[in-house]
Amino acid sequence: MRAAFILSEIGLGLRRNLSMVISVVLVTFISLTFVGAAGLLQLQIGQMKGYWYDRVEIAVFLCVDNSTSPTCAAGPVTAEQRDAIRAMFGAENLSRYVSSVAYESQDDALRHFRDQFANSPIVDSVTADQLPESFRVSLVDAEKYEIIDEAFSSLPGVDVVSDQRELLERVFTVLNRASLGALLVAGIMTLCAVLLIATTIRLSAFSRRRETGIMRLVGASKAVIQLPFILEGVIAAVVGAVLASGTLWLSSSFLLTRLARQCPDTAFISAHQVLLLLPALILLAVLLAGASSLLTLQRYVKV
Amino acid sequence: MIRFDNVTKTYDPRSRPALDGVSLEVSRGEFVFLVGASGSGKCTFIRLVLKEDHASHGAVHVAGRNVATIPSWRVPRLRRGIGVVFQDFRLLPNKTVFANVAFAMQVIGKSRPMIRETVPDVLRTVGLEGKNNRMPHELSGGEQQRVAIARAIVNRPGILLADEPTGNLDPTTSMGIMRVLERVNQNGTTVVMATHDDDIVDTLRKRVVELRNGRVVRDEAQGVYEGAIAAAAL
Ligand SMILES: Nc1ncnc2c1ncn2[C@@H]1O[C@H](COP(=O)(O)OP(=O)(O)OP(=O)(O)O)[C@@H](O)[C@H]1O
Ligand SMILES: [Mg+2]
Repeated sequence: MRAAFILSEIGLGLRRNLSMVISVVLVTFISLTFVGAAGLLQLQIGQMKGYWYDRVEIAVFLCVDNSTSPTCAAGPVTAEQRDAIRAMFGAENLSRYVSSVAYESQDDALRHFRDQFANSPIVDSVTADQLPESFRVSLVDAEKYEIIDEAFSSLPGVDVVSDQRELLERVFTVLNRASLGALLVAGIMTLCAVLLIATTIRLSAFSRRRETGIMRLVGASKAVIQLPFILEGVIAAVVGAVLASGTLWLSSSFLLTRLARQCPDTAFISAHQVLLLLPALILLAVLLAGASSLLTLQRYVKV
Repeated sequence: MIRFDNVTKTYDPRSRPALDGVSLEVSRGEFVFLVGASGSGKCTFIRLVLKEDHASHGAVHVAGRNVATIPSWRVPRLRRGIGVVFQDFRLLPNKTVFANVAFAMQVIGKSRPMIRETVPDVLRTVGLEGKNNRMPHELSGGEQQRVAIARAIVNRPGILLADEPTGNLDPTTSMGIMRVLERVNQNGTTVVMATHDDDIVDTLRKRVVELRNGRVVRDEAQGVYEGAIAAAAL
């Protein structure tokens, strides 16, 4: 009985306040879309960092069959060449710049490749002998890349020396800025949403002050008096969150398939990870709306 | 049923208290008129019984319980035991007579069959049979007040507080309302009615408590509106 009564009260409130309810829906929709976009960008950054970041700073790739650089003219790297290269790291003039060296075999490379591209279809078409073996070097001072480059790039058996850190850093900076921008917009829009929900609840409380006054007099409990207002805000916000989730889901799955086709050698987050983010958005909407309506009711609906 | 022990209520420390050392006991089943000039503290008395406000000094007991000791989440239960009627009826304009009375049962979680059974009974008690589906604006003032009384008693409270319930009604209609209140009282409900209506008080000859400047200046069984003191002054 009480549940049916509360439901009908909610319906009444939503209808009476329709234009405000629609604006709450739209504002939460926009704000949570930005929150979600920021979240997805962070996931994407995490995905890429997960394998690469601060693990490896410089890679000295060794020759494979199809290497084209002049130092690889003699074909794949030989065991002697590899040993000579390895020995170079220990040489007196270099060892003080190097903090650690790790050797990555072709099988290791394939394993890492599979981890990183777990969501990409190209995984199945790559075999170990297509991937170069490498020495992964981290430096005491990351700026000293030139020294390693000079020392190794002309050695026989070395294909190319690449400073992956710099490249990654650039990508991450761009992504981080984008996600920060999205977060900023999200913050402002969320503030708007909270204020708008508070205003809506206040108006709703005002237009129903007769009912709540009588409810108080005949001894309705605090929950029965306040729940319709709180649920009104929460329902509007959840509708906004569902719209935001739908938008994020559709646009991210569209974008991800296109990007994966255009840049097959980059790791992208999976649809699965996007789906995990959406319940968090809805929960956020419930918390925001619940908290702001509770605070408003404290002031405007006496119990 | 209601006991005031030396109760003082001060709204604004710069002016005199609205109630000033009031001690008063109303027993179960009594009918009491609360009279006195405007601003003498009648509304304040009612607000304190409902725990809408708290006494500045002294203790207010309702149904044997000091209301100051009732935690705020228990206040609704206190109010379920008290019906209230006002001068301005306070009906919900967009609900029918039936729905207005049913509202008081719905919000405290009474079942639909129980509501369907009780509401027509109560409407009959207040003399409104056959008007279930009228809207408040289709009723006379007297009929609207009957709806308000029906709503106040539908949950069978032990106490009915009426704040100038006949204030907006003509003498004949007022008498009709008084008959309804008497019937409610005969069914065992304690009735406290604040009023300015001397005709009614003089006709019914019930207990009269007179407040002046927040003090009880007269309390007599089967009293009249103008007390001995006021009469002597004339
Ligand atoms: N909420 C309030 N804040 C401040 N003062 C108040 C408040 N309510 C009542 N008062 C003051 O308390 C005194 C008693 O008021 P109360 O409403 O109890 O009188 P009353 O006897 O019901 O008057 P009336 O017959 O006009 O309804 C008045 O002087 C009034 O100004
Ligand atoms: Mg008054």
